[in-house]
Amino acid sequence: MRKLRPILLLALLILTVIFNCQCSRQPAGQGQTVICFAFQDLETEYWVAAHKAITETLRTKGIKVLERNGHQDANRQLEQVRDAIAQGVDGIIIIPQDGESALTIIGEANCAGTPIAVFNRPPANNSRPAVVVVADNEKIAEETVRYMVRTASELNRRMKPLILVGDLGDQNAIARKQGFYNAINERPELFEKPIEVPTKWDPATTLANLEAAMQVNPGVDFIFTSSDFLYPQIKAVLEPLGKWKPIGDSNHIILGGLDGDSTAYRLMEQGLVDATGVQDLFFEAHAVMDALLEAIENGQKTPDQWIDDPGFALTQANMEQKRNDMWGYRVLADLPKAGK
Amino acid sequence: MNMTAQKNRILLAALRNMPIILFVGLFLCFGVLAPDFFRYQSIENAVKQASYVGIVAVGMAFVLLTGGIDLSVGSNMYLSTVVAGLCIQRFALSPAAAFVICIGAGFTFAMTNAFIVTRLRVVPFIATLATLVAGRGLGRMLSQSRAISFPETITRIGSARLFDVVPYPIVLFALTLLAAWIMLHRTQWGRQIYAVGYNLESARKAGINTVRIRAIAYVVCGVFASFGGFISVAQLGNVNAGFGRGSEFDAIAAAVLGGISLFGGIGSIFPGVLLGAVMIQLVSTGLVSAKVDLYLHSMISALIIFAAVAIDSHRTILLKKMQQRHIRIE
Repeated sequence: MRKLRPILLLALLILTVIFNCQCSRQPAGQGQTVICFAFQDLETEYWVAAHKAITETLRTKGIKVLERNGHQDANRQLEQVRDAIAQGVDGIIIIPQDGESALTIIGEANCAGTPIAVFNRPPANNSRPAVVVVADNEKIAEETVRYMVRTASELNRRMKPLILVGDLGDQNAIARKQGFYNAINERPELFEKPIEVPTKWDPATTLANLEAAMQVNPGVDFIFTSSDFLYPQIKAVLEPLGKWKPIGDSNHIILGGLDGDSTAYRLMEQGLVDATGVQDLFFEAHAVMDALLEAIENGQKTPDQWIDDPGFALTQANMEQKRNDMWGYRVLADLPKAGK
Repeated sequence: MNMTAQKNRILLAALRNMPIILFVGLFLCFGVLAPDFFRYQSIENAVKQASYVGIVAVGMAFVLLTGGIDLSVGSNMYLSTVVAGLCIQRFALSPAAAFVICIGAGFTFAMTNAFIVTRLRVVPFIATLATLVAGRGLGRMLSQSRAISFPETITRIGSARLFDVVPYPIVLFALTLLAAWIMLHRTQWGRQIYAVGYNLESARKAGINTVRIRAIAYVVCGVFASFGGFISVAQLGNVNAGFGRGSEFDAIAAAVLGGISLFGGIGSIFPGVLLGAVMIQLVSTGLVSAKVDLYLHSMISALIIFAAVAIDSHRTILLKKMQQRHIRIE
């Protein structure tokens, strides 16, 4: 019996593996449409709201959703997508870790003939067919900063601008930085050379670097943050310096960001933030789902469509008229989340 | 002959104080590039921002001194603050209760490490790598990967000052250093840590309970990691899924820069680890102050840290050579 035990254990192990393989080869939904939604950690309010919008809408349409969190690991996400393809899903929606990994994953889906859609983070190039929905980050940032520049020009003094730059590996961060410079460079007489502060999309890095930058450049009076989720850290630095003041106060720093989350809306309401670029989250979520479902229905295996979210700048001047289009305000007010 | 002896003495003193020399050199270098960097406020900021990494590095030093390593400190920071944050949200706890829960979670995490390393006899690198992954996974499961905000009663600690002079994170870092220094240099148990790290077999033969000593080192490391996490959260205001990621490398780098040997048994908490932690922060903030191109930041940081560690290891070899007794047979 003692000699047989290892053989029995081994046989049991092999049977378990075979059984699991058989199970995973079976169509995941058995007649029902199945979509794999592979995302990264829901670190910010934007990703939480996007995740909720996509999963809830798909489920209300009677679609089975296989949720996979890559935990900010591009390789893990690739494996998760491969696994989903092996399970025979009808379509894939991904929020990739970066542009390069997006390309690899799209290639994998293309080879398997599974339609794939990319949400909000674009692939490094459009060499492989996919449905891509992405905000025009450069244009939104430019529009937002242009409003801030107009506000600055009314002060009749030369300004010292600062930009909190996102992760340099993220195409969205680069586009936002470019948008900032486009607007600033339109009025060179108004601005000194901008100070660039790296954040790596990390609150601790932001806090440390912004504090250092403000120490060496106490005259900074114009700040653009590449993402609204960094406002708590900006407040933590500016408040002790007596510069976290509302519009109209002589110590107010002209402040703007991009995303359009509920914190940004609250701060705008309090008069602490001048403008924020808004990505139309609900439009993006609905556009990605509609395009993918249409491709599945039409039997398209490699749909190729690029959908731009033009977004807009919510400013102190147009807040009353446009706030209903801001996803952060909708989340805050719990308004219906209809797409355009 | 006297001249040579004097030169050797100066060289020896310089080698012994290499972390301080490196620190001052770096500070002067960034000060020249950005003159405003010479202000007192710049140093205060660097120390304040380094406080949480410093506290984690102090704990890491205990483990490194025993010849081990703990790669899970970043996950410990994340998990323990997530637990504290969730308890605050659910039970509206006071800051003191939240702190106790955070430390308690860190202690439990550390006990797991200690058990795996000392009782299951798994190599520390593998054991703590496993708990790094498992700890972060558990934290994500509890938080559903969402950011957890902390109330103002806690974030106030991060910005408040003792007697309106010294920021609390610096005070807490100083107290941690003092406590760790006393533990290591003024207690029998501290000397046993050095002995275990210097030569495990000899320590065992000398009657030291090496299993207990190593376990205690991992527990101290874990508790300090959760303490560092709490200090960081008090400054940041929230914990997101990326919180603490990479902190293990900052902590190890700070300890090694401060002169703690990766092979155990050598190094001291003060001023070594203090300087190491502040030096890492100084490089980061110095590059921002000097307005260096963002694309160069990572490369320059890595180069400076590598150079500092290389100089330090060369120093150790030189020191050993210089302190050797030369017996001349005539």
